[in-house]
Amino acid sequence: MKEAYIATFYSHFGAMAFHKQCKEAGFESRIMPVPRTLSSSCGTCVWFKGDPGQACSWEMEELEQMVKCVNKGGYKKIM
Amino acid sequence: MNDSTTKKETILIIAAGLIIGAIAVGLVFFGNPANMGFCIACFIRDTTGALGFHSAAAVQYIRPEIVGLVLGAFILALVTKEFKPRGGSAPVTRFVIAMFVMIGCLMFLGCPFRMILRLAGGDFNALFGILGFVGGILLGVVFLKKGYTLKRSYSMQKTEGTIFTVLQLVILALLVAAPAFIHFTETDGGPGAKHAAIGISLVAGLVVGALAQRTRLCMVGGIRDVVLFGEWKLLSGFLAILVAAFIGNAILGFWNPGFAGQPIAHTDGLWNALGMALAGFGCVLLGGCPMRQLVLAGEGNTDSAVTVIGLAAGAAIAHNFGLASSAEGPTANGKAAVLVGIVVLLVIAACNSIRKKGAA
Repeated sequence: MKEAYIATFYSHFGAMAFHKQCKEAGFESRIMPVPRTLSSSCGTCVWFKGDPGQACSWEMEELEQMVKCVNKGGYKKIM
Repeated sequence: MNDSTTKKETILIIAAGLIIGAIAVGLVFFGNPANMGFCIACFIRDTTGALGFHSAAAVQYIRPEIVGLVLGAFILALVTKEFKPRGGSAPVTRFVIAMFVMIGCLMFLGCPFRMILRLAGGDFNALFGILGFVGGILLGVVFLKKGYTLKRSYSMQKTEGTIFTVLQLVILALLVAAPAFIHFTETDGGPGAKHAAIGISLVAGLVVGALAQRTRLCMVGGIRDVVLFGEWKLLSGFLAILVAAFIGNAILGFWNPGFAGQPIAHTDGLWNALGMALAGFGCVLLGGCPMRQLVLAGEGNTDSAVTVIGLAAGAAIAHNFGLASSAEGPTANGKAAVLVGIVVLLVIAACNSIRKKGAA
């Protein structure tokens, strides 16, 4: 089973662009509000299942951070 | 995302909303103007007047609630290690948008927060405001979907992120010291003369600021999340404020249903709606309502600090140029300014929504 990740961005536009890349790469993904436990920002983020290394290579200027979803709603920062 | 985490967040937001709603009614009980326990736009306007940036004698008073709100968010952000100085995301554009958001709010006579409090007090004119506000947000969401962005922000020095909070402390010192160059509305001279004791207002602001920082409470973000994601979590906080304020008003005898004769309000439905449409549209372009901007400024976001200064400039312009409404209704200048504001924001939104490579 593929592991889930969340990417946060400096703007809603960044999330939209990343979401489009996810779809083109065949990743299961969706845009959603940033979880409070992850950030005090009230922006949007992208939840996805796929290769985080590939996602990091997309040179997204507005990518803020990427975390791996772990048990019980926790997160582990990977970028 | 984990369901139990979402449920906990929702419960926290609703609890915070209930507390904030109760505090807002409590502030009216202790002396603030009716249906104005909290109003970010009105309070920034009053403070701007007290500092001499406009000369509307009826609305001049340094509101400790604003100081407390920023301080509360700042302190909690420090404690939780969420104080992150950032900035550099189109500050001049944000300043201009914020000016028009304030002009829209002063057409309606209240920010999104007061819009809810007015409804909770029985002022049904607020329904037109809500209608316009939602319309403005929907317009903003259209541009968000077209790729609107003011570009990313960047890390800043801690001193840069702290200056705005220090300024709030200076403003508080001016209130306490009350030197001759600070303007205060004379007793019975208007809404500026109605206020709770400094200590009560300051503590109320601190609590609301901390709660808003913890929960990310934002009327604009709440409606945006419902429209974009079908998620009611953020908006449930404002619904809780409405419920708590309504119950508080009913208990204290402040419930006064109707359209005419409402405190610090007018009955022109069209311009109530258009004023809040301008405010809602602008807030989406800014990424948050006026209260959220204060909280973010407390967290060290200098773009939000510039936005708050833009709101203050908008208040000064609104009163110096005769744009602000009164109980008698909107002014011709105010109507023209709201229409100009909608056009200016449309141009700003369009110029920043050019579809870039990679956008959805």
